[in-house]
Amino acid sequence: MRRGLDAIVTVGSLLLCLLLLPTRIPGMELLGIGPNWLLIWVVAWSLNRTVWQGVLAGLTIGIVQDGMSSSHPTHAASLIAVGVLAARLQKQRYIQEDFISVALVVFGMSVVAETVTALQFSIDSLWGDASGTGRSLSEIWTYHQRVTLASAILSSLWAPAIYFPLDRWWGKMNLLE
Amino acid sequence: MKGNSIYVFRRWWERYGVQTVLAVLALVAAGLVRHTNGAVLFEMYQALARPFEANPAQQEQLVNARIRELEQRLAEQERQNQSLKQLVGAVGDRDRQPIFAPAIGRSAHHWWNHIILGRGRRDGLKKGYIVTAPGGLVGRISSVTDRTSRVLLISDPTSRVGVTIGRSRSMGFLRGQGTERAVMEFFDKVPDVKAGDTVSTSSLSQLFPPGTPVGSVESVKLNASPAPEATVKLSAPIGNLEWALVEPNRPISETSSDTTLDAEEQPQEEREDGFEEN
Repeated sequence: MRRGLDAIVTVGSLLLCLLLLPTRIPGMELLGIGPNWLLIWVVAWSLNRTVWQGVLAGLTIGIVQDGMSSSHPTHAASLIAVGVLAARLQKQRYIQEDFISVALVVFGMSVVAETVTALQFSIDSLWGDASGTGRSLSEIWTYHQRVTLASAILSSLWAPAIYFPLDRWWGKMNLLE
Repeated sequence: MKGNSIYVFRRWWERYGVQTVLAVLALVAAGLVRHTNGAVLFEMYQALARPFEANPAQQEQLVNARIRELEQRLAEQERQNQSLKQLVGAVGDRDRQPIFAPAIGRSAHHWWNHIILGRGRRDGLKKGYIVTAPGGLVGRISSVTDRTSRVLLISDPTSRVGVTIGRSRSMGFLRGQGTERAVMEFFDKVPDVKAGDTVSTSSLSQLFPPGTPVGSVESVKLNASPAPEATVKLSAPIGNLEWALVEPNRPISETSSDTTLDAEEQPQEEREDGFEEN
């Protein structure tokens, strides 16, 4: 019963993040870019979990996002990187739990995720078929600069909205077990 | 020894069994979502977004009024065109019935430029259909679900459109930049082009119907490498699109079955690619 409820909350919150992806609600976008909801979810999931659980979340959600936008290059790479790093941070030891620290972690992770994506595109444009990505190296990194800042700012500002309810819930579930 | 390993496995299973099963289930579910291009999610999104569609009656009225005006002008032009074509002996005219579709979402990741339309297979939309808006070309449908479809915008860097300059017929192809401006690369070394020229799809393009307005030239860079370039401002309001028009690329009679369209898909892509190397 309790496990079922836990699963519903976990999957439901993830579903909410997935359905928020195509939206661009006024006041929630910068340069046509919205917050990276899935990244926030992966960070929230991984911060209090093991590295393997972080990898699994990154992989699963990355595959889903591939289905929703484009699978080449895959989104799983950046989300796995985020999952691993967030799990390695070991929040209990180094970071206090407050708005600022969570926002900072998400900011950093957004930068990591965008850089991984830009690297994937670069590898494609150097060795893969350039027609698949259509960008030259200089275009990729100019776009990276523009996108990283907007995405990181927005994601970190919206991070507490996803992180705190989920963290509370999972904390309670852990206590009960 | 054997009994021991079974014991170890049982201990492991008791400890991690549920987690492993859940992990495998999650991966399988994710794989399914990817395989269907997120159909379940987009259908759900469409159902949720329906109440928020931008004032359809009013929008449609505005768009319809504009279209009626243009249609009247076009009818006159087409009649002239028709008679001229008959004189020249050309064949094949387009009989297209556009479908109105609301834009209900944007791309699910900001490295790609898509829009999500709130009409899908049930409304007769298919992969490869052309999407336009008041102003000009918007893009091409890249995948459809029952009630939604995903459009690859011409502003996406992976999008390639064969285009021509209206005044001088200089040919080239248009490459998206992720913004409302795109880059046109010319095939000629010294193209006849200047700021303000109109740009439309060329008759060599297989993916888009020829003569669809795309935008206007903003600036020209003749010494660009490897080919001369022009910055083109796209004329359709891609950044804040609310309604779009969808129509088949070919006359409906030719695209009546899925198989012919899919069979044509691959060679078309190749032709477009080969075309740009010339």
